[in-house]
Amino acid sequence: MLFLARFVRLIDSLNDAVGRGVAWLTIPLVLVTFLVATLRYGFSVGWVSMQESYMWLYGIIFMVGAGYTLLHGGHVRVDVFYRPASARYKAWVDLIGTLFLLLPVLTLVFIYSYPYVITSWKRLEGSQETGGLPGLFLLKSVILVFCILMGLQGLSLAARSILVLAGHREFEINEEEHEGV
Amino acid sequence: QDVREWRMVTTWPKNFPGLGTGANLLAEYINKASDGRMKVSVYGAGEIVPAFEAIDAVGNGTVEMGHGAPYYWKGKVAATQYLAAMPFGLTAQEQNSWFQYGGGQEIADKIYAKLNCKFFPSGNTGTQMGGWFNKEMNTIDDFKGLKMRIPGLGGEVIQAAGGNVVNLPGGEIPPALQSGAIDATEWVGPYNDLAFGLYKSAKYYYYPGWHEPATTLENFINLEAWNDLPDDLKAIVEQANRATNQMVLSEFVARNNQALKTLREKHNVDVRPFSDEILTNLGTLAGKVLRELVAADPLSQEVFDSLVAFRAQSITWAKYSESAFMQARVLPFKY
Amino acid sequence: MSGEVLSLLMFAVACVVLLFGFPVAFSLGGTGLAFALLGHAMGVFDMPLLGSLPSRYFGVMTNELYVAIPLFVFMGVMLERARIAEKLLLTMGMLFGKHRAGLGISVVIVGMLLAASTGIVGATVVTMGLLSLPAMQKAGYSPRLSAGVICASGTLGQIIPPSIVLVLLGDILQGAYAEAQRSLGNWAPEPVSVIDLFVGAFIPGMLLVALYISWVVIQSFIDPKSAPALVEGKRPEGLFGEVLRALVPPALLIVAVLGSILTGIATPTESAAFGSVGATILAACYGRLDLAVLRHVTRQTVQISSMVFIILLGASIFSLVFRGLGGDHLVEQLLHNMPGGLFGAMLVVMTLMFVMGFFLDFIEIVFVVVPIVGPVLLKMDISPIWLGIMIAINLQTSFLTPPFGFALFYLRGVAPPSMKTWDIYRGIIPFVLIQIFALILLAAFPELATWLPSVLLK
Ligand code: NA
Ligand code: NA
Repeated sequence: MLFLARFVRLIDSLNDAVGRGVAWLTIPLVLVTFLVATLRYGFSVGWVSMQESYMWLYGIIFMVGAGYTLLHGGHVRVDVFYRPASARYKAWVDLIGTLFLLLPVLTLVFIYSYPYVITSWKRLEGSQETGGLPGLFLLKSVILVFCILMGLQGLSLAARSILVLAGHREFEINEEEHEGV
Repeated sequence: QDVREWRMVTTWPKNFPGLGTGANLLAEYINKASDGRMKVSVYGAGEIVPAFEAIDAVGNGTVEMGHGAPYYWKGKVAATQYLAAMPFGLTAQEQNSWFQYGGGQEIADKIYAKLNCKFFPSGNTGTQMGGWFNKEMNTIDDFKGLKMRIPGLGGEVIQAAGGNVVNLPGGEIPPALQSGAIDATEWVGPYNDLAFGLYKSAKYYYYPGWHEPATTLENFINLEAWNDLPDDLKAIVEQANRATNQMVLSEFVARNNQALKTLREKHNVDVRPFSDEILTNLGTLAGKVLRELVAADPLSQEVFDSLVAFRAQSITWAKYSESAFMQARVLPFKY
Repeated sequence: MSGEVLSLLMFAVACVVLLFGFPVAFSLGGTGLAFALLGHAMGVFDMPLLGSLPSRYFGVMTNELYVAIPLFVFMGVMLERARIAEKLLLTMGMLFGKHRAGLGISVVIVGMLLAASTGIVGATVVTMGLLSLPAMQKAGYSPRLSAGVICASGTLGQIIPPSIVLVLLGDILQGAYAEAQRSLGNWAPEPVSVIDLFVGAFIPGMLLVALYISWVVIQSFIDPKSAPALVEGKRPEGLFGEVLRALVPPALLIVAVLGSILTGIATPTESAAFGSVGATILAACYGRLDLAVLRHVTRQTVQISSMVFIILLGASIFSLVFRGLGGDHLVEQLLHNMPGGLFGAMLVVMTLMFVMGFFLDFIEIVFVVVPIVGPVLLKMDISPIWLGIMIAINLQTSFLTPPFGFALFYLRGVAPPSMKTWDIYRGIIPFVLIQIFALILLAAFPELATWLPSVLLK
C-alpha cells in the first residue's frame, strides 16, 4: 500500500508539473496566431512556418496536457449515476475502467503509433508545405508522449482506486468544478 | 480461389471531379480485368485516413494502395515533388514520355522505395491555370507583397518573387479571397475552379499555369502487396494505370474546354495572360530556386537532372511540332 | 452474426458503458476496441484498419480550424475572470429591475451578450447563478422561473457565434456536403465554411433570445408574483454612465470578434486570437490581470481543450470500428427507407439527438452521431447550413435536459440550498419546450438559417 501511495504521488506530481508547463504554451498560441493575422492584414507579410507554429502549439497543448487533465478530473464523464454514487462505486468504476478501457486503448494507440513515429524520424520528416517547419517527426512523437503520460496517469488513477477500496479515504477524488464549454 | 481484397485510400474527397474519379476508374479497371481475382474499393480523404496521411497508410500496410499527387510527400522524401510538376517543366505528353522512355519510371521507383511503395503515374491534369487574382498583375513587381495561396514549388518561386505564401484549408479559400485575407489563389484548371466557385470571389483569371504545366497523379502500392502479386495481376494493375493515366488527361481536356466556355460566357470572367515580362522573370526565378533546392538532396538532384535533360530536347522538338502547329491552327483563316 | 448487427450492438453497449461514468473518451474508445477484437474473431472486421489511428490523430493535431477552439476557450475563461458579466448583470439589473419581468429580461440580454463574446456555458451559468439568482430571489421571483431563465440564457453561447459546436460541425459538414452533392451529380457544389454556419446561426440565436424574453413577459402576466419588479428599485444617480461603462468594452469585443468573422476579414481561428488578446486587454483595464489569473486561464484552457479533443480521439476509434463493421451502410439504408422521405429521416435524427442529449454531452453527439447521419441526410439535397443550425439548437438543448444537463448541474452547484433541485428541473421545462418550438419553426422556415448567409456572403 505504501508503494501504491508513493506511486500515486510521483505520477500525480509528474503530470501536474507537465500540465502547468504546457499551460504556459497557450500564451504563445494566442500571441503567434494574433501576430500572423495582424502581420498579414496590416503589413502583408507572413511566413508559412509561423502559421504552422501555432498549429504545433495547439497539438502539443491538448495532447501533452491530457494526463494533467485526467489528474484534475477534467475529462468529461456521463455522471448521471457516477456523481451521486459512493466513493467505493467511483473507485470500482475508475479501477475497472482504467484496466479494461483506458489502458487497452492507449496500448493499441501506442502499438500502432510507434512504427509510424519511427518511420517519420528515419525520414527526418518535415512539413509538406512550402516554407513550412522542419522537424515534423517531433510533432508526431507527441502521440507517443500522450500515450505514456496518459497511461501513467491512468495507472495512478487505478492505484488510487485500490487505495480507496482498501479504506484509505484520503485518496478519494474530489472532482473540481469545471468551466465546461 | 482467393480474392485479393484491397483498399485504395486517396488524397481526394470522394468522387472529386477529375482527380477522385480517376481513382474510381483505376479500381474499376482492375476489378473488371482481373475477373474478380482482385477487388479494390476506394476511400475518399478522411474516410480511413486524412488526405496527407495516405502514403503512410499504404507504406505501413494499413491499406494496400493509394491515389494522390507526388508533391504531397515532399516532407517525407523531398524528391517526390519533382515527379508531380516542375515550374516551367514538361507538358503532359512530355511528362508521360519521360516516365516511359526517359528513365522516369526507374527514378520514381527508386524514390518510392523509400516510402515502401511501388509507383505508377495514374492521371494528369494537363496544363493548369495561373490562378485567381484580385489584383491586376502587370509586372513582376506586382508579386511583391502579394498574399497568395499557392503550395509546392510554385510557392517557392512566388516567395522568391517577394510574394507572401499563405496556407489555407480548402473550405476557407473562397471566403478568404472574398474578404481580402488573400489576394490570389491557384487551384487546378477551369473544370475544378468552376466547381469550386472561385469566379465568385476573384476579379481576374490569369493563365498559363506556369507553376503546374502538367501535374502527374499517382497510384502507390504497398511494396510487399505489390511483390506478392502474380505476374498477370501485376500486368493488369500496370495497364489499368496506363489507361487511367490517359483517361484522366482526356477528361480534363474535354471538361476544361466546356468549363472555360462557361466561365467566360456565363460568368463573364476576365481571363488574362501573364505578360512575357512576368513569365520571363518567373522563369528565371524558377530555375534559380529549383537549382538551389535540389542541391541539398542527391535524389532530388538526380530526378531534376533527368527532367531538365529531357526538357531541353522536348523544347526543341515541340518548337517544330506542337507549338508550331498550335500557332498555325489559330491563324485567321476560315475553317 | 453479421458485422452490421455487431455495429448496432456496439452502439447499444457504448451507451451502457458510458452510463457507468468512466471518462467518455475511453468509454467510447474501449468499447470500439472490444468490438474490433470481437469482429475480428468473427471474421467481419479487418484489424489492420486500426493502423490508420496514428494518421487520424495526427490529422486532428494539424487541423487548422480546430486551433480556434482553445483560443475561444482562452477568451471565454479570461472574460469570466475579468468579471465583465458581473458588471453587465448589475447595471442591467438596475436598468430593467424596476419593471415587471425586468430582472428576467436582463438575464437573457446579458446571456446573449456573453454568448456573442464567446459563451462558455459553465462560466456563464455560474456567474449568473451567483449574481442574478440572489437578486431575483430577493425581488421575489419564483425559483422555477429564475432557474429556467438562467440555465437557458447561459447556453446561448452554444448557438450564437462564435461557438465551439459550430466550428466542430462546420468541419464535419464541409466534407460531407461536397461529397453528397457530387454523388447527386452536382459537380459544382457551393462550398460550406464555418463562417457560413456562424452567419446562419445569427438569426436563430436572436430568435431564441426573443422567445426567452417573450416567455418571461408572458409568465409575468399570467402570474405577476413570479416575476415582480424590484421594490427598492430607485435608479441610482449616473446609472446611464454605469451602463455605458459596463456595456461598451464587451460590445467592442463582440464587434471585433463577430465583425471580423462575419465580414470574412479573418478566419475563425484568427478572430479567436483577436478575441483572446482583446479579452486579456479588457481584463488588464479592469485591473483583473495578474499572474494568478493568467495561471488559471491557461490551465483551464489546457483542460477544456484537452477534454474536447481527447473525446474526439476516442470517438475516432469508435467510428472507425463502426464503419469497419459496415454500420454506416446500415444507417444509410435505415434513413433512406424511412417513411416520409426527408421529413421522416430528419424527424428520426432530430429525435434521436434530442433523446441522446438527455444522457450524453454535445461533444459525444457531434463526434459520434453527426459523421454517421450527416452525409446521409445531406444526400437528400438539403442545405448544410440549415442542417448544421438544426443540429446546433438540438445540441444546445442537451445542456438543459435532465438528468444530465450541464447547465442544470452548474446552477445546482452555485444555487443556495433553499432552491430545490426539483425547482431547477421543473423550471427548465418551458425552456426545453421553447427549444423544440424553435426547432419546429426552423424546420418550417429554413430561411431563418439560410437567408442571412445568402445575402451577406454571396
Ligand atoms: Na458564442
Ligand atoms: Na441533457
